[in-house]
Amino acid sequence: MATESENIESLVNRRYEHGFVTDIATDSLPPGLDEGVVRAISARKNEPEFMLEWRLQAYRQWLTMREPEWAHVHYPKIDFNAISYFAAPKSDEDRPKSLDEVDPKLLETYDKLGIPLHERARLAGVAVDAVFDSVSVATTFKEKLSEAGVIFCSFSEAVIEHPELVQKYLGSVVPRRDNFYAALNSAVFSDGSFVYIPKGVRCPMELSTYFRINAANTGQFERTLIVADEGSHVSYLEGCTAPMRDENQLHAAVVELVALKDAEIKYSTVQNWYPGDENGKGGIYNFVTKRGDCRGANSKISWTQVETGSAITWKYPSCLLRGENSVGEFYSVAVTNNLQQADTGTKMIHIGRNTSSTIVSKGISAGKAQQAYRGLVRIMPQAEGARNHTQCDSLLIGKECGAHTFPYMEIKNPSARVEHEATTSKISANQLFYCRQRGISEEDAVNMIVNGFCKEVFKELPMEFAVEAQALLNVSLEGAVG
Amino acid sequence: MSRQPHSIDELQDIVSRLPSTRNEDWKYTDLASARDISSRWLAAGRESLSLALQDEVEAVTHAIDANWIVIANGELQHPVDVNGASRLDDAPSSDTALAELNAALLKDGLRLRVEDALDKPIGILMIDGTEDASVSQAYVEIEFAPGASGEIIEYHASKGDADQYANTIVSVAVGDAASARHLRVQNRAAHHVQTGHTSVSVGRDANYTMSGFDLGGGLIRNDVIIDIAAAGAEVSFDGLYLAGEGQHIDNHTRVDHRVGPARSRQEYRGILNGHCRCVWNGKAIVHEGADGTDADQANHNLLLSEKAEIDAKPELEIYTDDVKCSHGTTVGQLDETSLFYLRSRGLDKRHATQVLTHAFASDLVARMPVDAAKEALATVVEHRLAELLDSDPDTFS
Repeated sequence: MATESENIESLVNRRYEHGFVTDIATDSLPPGLDEGVVRAISARKNEPEFMLEWRLQAYRQWLTMREPEWAHVHYPKIDFNAISYFAAPKSDEDRPKSLDEVDPKLLETYDKLGIPLHERARLAGVAVDAVFDSVSVATTFKEKLSEAGVIFCSFSEAVIEHPELVQKYLGSVVPRRDNFYAALNSAVFSDGSFVYIPKGVRCPMELSTYFRINAANTGQFERTLIVADEGSHVSYLEGCTAPMRDENQLHAAVVELVALKDAEIKYSTVQNWYPGDENGKGGIYNFVTKRGDCRGANSKISWTQVETGSAITWKYPSCLLRGENSVGEFYSVAVTNNLQQADTGTKMIHIGRNTSSTIVSKGISAGKAQQAYRGLVRIMPQAEGARNHTQCDSLLIGKECGAHTFPYMEIKNPSARVEHEATTSKISANQLFYCRQRGISEEDAVNMIVNGFCKEVFKELPMEFAVEAQALLNVSLEGAVG
Repeated sequence: MSRQPHSIDELQDIVSRLPSTRNEDWKYTDLASARDISSRWLAAGRESLSLALQDEVEAVTHAIDANWIVIANGELQHPVDVNGASRLDDAPSSDTALAELNAALLKDGLRLRVEDALDKPIGILMIDGTEDASVSQAYVEIEFAPGASGEIIEYHASKGDADQYANTIVSVAVGDAASARHLRVQNRAAHHVQTGHTSVSVGRDANYTMSGFDLGGGLIRNDVIIDIAAAGAEVSFDGLYLAGEGQHIDNHTRVDHRVGPARSRQEYRGILNGHCRCVWNGKAIVHEGADGTDADQANHNLLLSEKAEIDAKPELEIYTDDVKCSHGTTVGQLDETSLFYLRSRGLDKRHATQVLTHAFASDLVARMPVDAAKEALATVVEHRLAELLDSDPDTFS
């Protein structure tokens, strides 16, 4: 028992490995938020009039909204005037045309993260739209994609180059006034990714964006919009790590997915932002709105997430199942350790006939962390033949952590079949003993059990991500197992 | 302590503060009708003529062999010749508007102390029936002394076409090593409103078993709060709700595991037909240090009509790791192959449905903890189920 707890101690005390600040001068706006700031952001990005108008309306709506307080998380009030709403790397004027031109410091950053961008891109055939702070600085494989007719670019570029698509789809899934943070994002979003897959095209490669938050005190407000036209298919990977620092950083992203008839979007996330130190100091506030709209018949949207970072997570990737026979999926592994807090889950809104959804949520709570699964399954009266299966399991590690489940089920059609199962337990002494007496070390045994616990979700991840997800789990979770 | 007289304004103020749907716990249940009835009744001078209730009282008390205490329109009916029963002047004041209303308007409270093993169940019939719109309050305190054991039947009924709102509070304290079996039947008239609050505290190595049956009523809200503050407690409770045209039945349960080891399990089942809505919200909270807790919740719903809605929310809040907690919820229809099997044997759709829904409900009737009431309850449930299936003509068209 003594060696076990020492082992655990050493693992628990392992430092966050991805914490460092890349030293690049940033061209930031001073802290504070008013209409002037919104106009300044829009002007710096040379946005057309409609975009500025959209932002201003969002800002005015945001002013009338109240911060949500229903989540099972506690944190000091955020001073929205202490945040700088725009930061861009200095070398903005002459943006690199290819990876070779990218600031070597940036590449070094990725190296430290263990994801050498060029290598990874070449080996894995992944096009990368790297968001370093707020402006995209490297986009690869553009040509190959444009051959297929796929548009994959930074959001700012899309606003200039494809205003008709942006105007048509922006805010059509997450309206400006959807919630407090979505409204804030709509007003001040700095950049993000835009993807359009034309009719009948299967995107030739997996698309990926690496997010990093870099400049201290800069909230990052990404906006991602993915439109999959009729009969198309795309898999999108999003991953992030962040440097270590003491002040809390606000991150309020909005992701909108639109799947038209017969289209399929697979959206995978590995999130490993700085969770704060063992005393709960620092760490990212991750208040994200992610929603997919299965607009056409037979469309499918699948969310897969591995959430290990952030001090506070408030995130509910959702699906609106409008099209007949459309399918929504949510696979999640969330890990909280030390003083991390997470309130995460999904919403499946069944509107069309014969729609189905699957929810698999695995929560692992360790140290003094608090984690909640919050989900909604709503079957509308017209959603004949809807089907949902939800499974949410929690693994508790330690006496002081918490795991909570708040699943809402609102069923307004009698032909619906809805099932919800949840379990909460710790790793049983019997399981551990069995492994130990087969000669497996304590740590390996716990690894095996935890990996087995998460298997259902990991197998949904694209291969490129599965390895990283396992590694992340090692850093953030195994340390606390006992 | 004498009761504080309340002015009409003070009472109207309490009524206006009854929970609204902006409150997360009341998200799906709107008490507008309760506020409306109360406020009209207060304005009309708080008087309403009682209907003759003797037949209804006898129908219940003769069907179930128990020592009955009757509370009619909030007034204790004399004589009360049950050992350990006494009248209470006051209900304790509390911080919720519903409890405040109860304390402010209570006519007769009831206190019941069970000293040792009861040889016969004690029945408490709360019945309302008035000529005009009325509001009634009931407050019952039941205490099982350490080591005592017995069965309690709580029966709610009402009569009449006038609007009625009943607000009842029952608190049960189960002493160390005591064993309490509690049956709760709510069979009010079709459009009457009730908010019922049941709080239970369970002592060391004590055993508490409850079954609740919601058969009637218009707008019904039940809160069952169970507090496990000592090790070794065993708690088991079930609920069956049968909702037909125009009914709204909301069951909120909450089990606080403060100390372990202890076990709690609950299973609620619902059958919904016609334009109706049911809510089930089960919450289990395992507090810090409640090691060795085993908590299980289950909720199953049968939707028979396109106009029926169920809102289910099984919640777990767990603050320690040595626990085993689970919940399962299902919403669906009758199994088509079972229906087909019965149809192929020559049963018509209505009859086949009745056989299957009866099977769905009968598990809970069979598990019901008060043997003396089993037969009578089975009859009432069966009758109500048949009525329910006929309430929506579309179901079998």
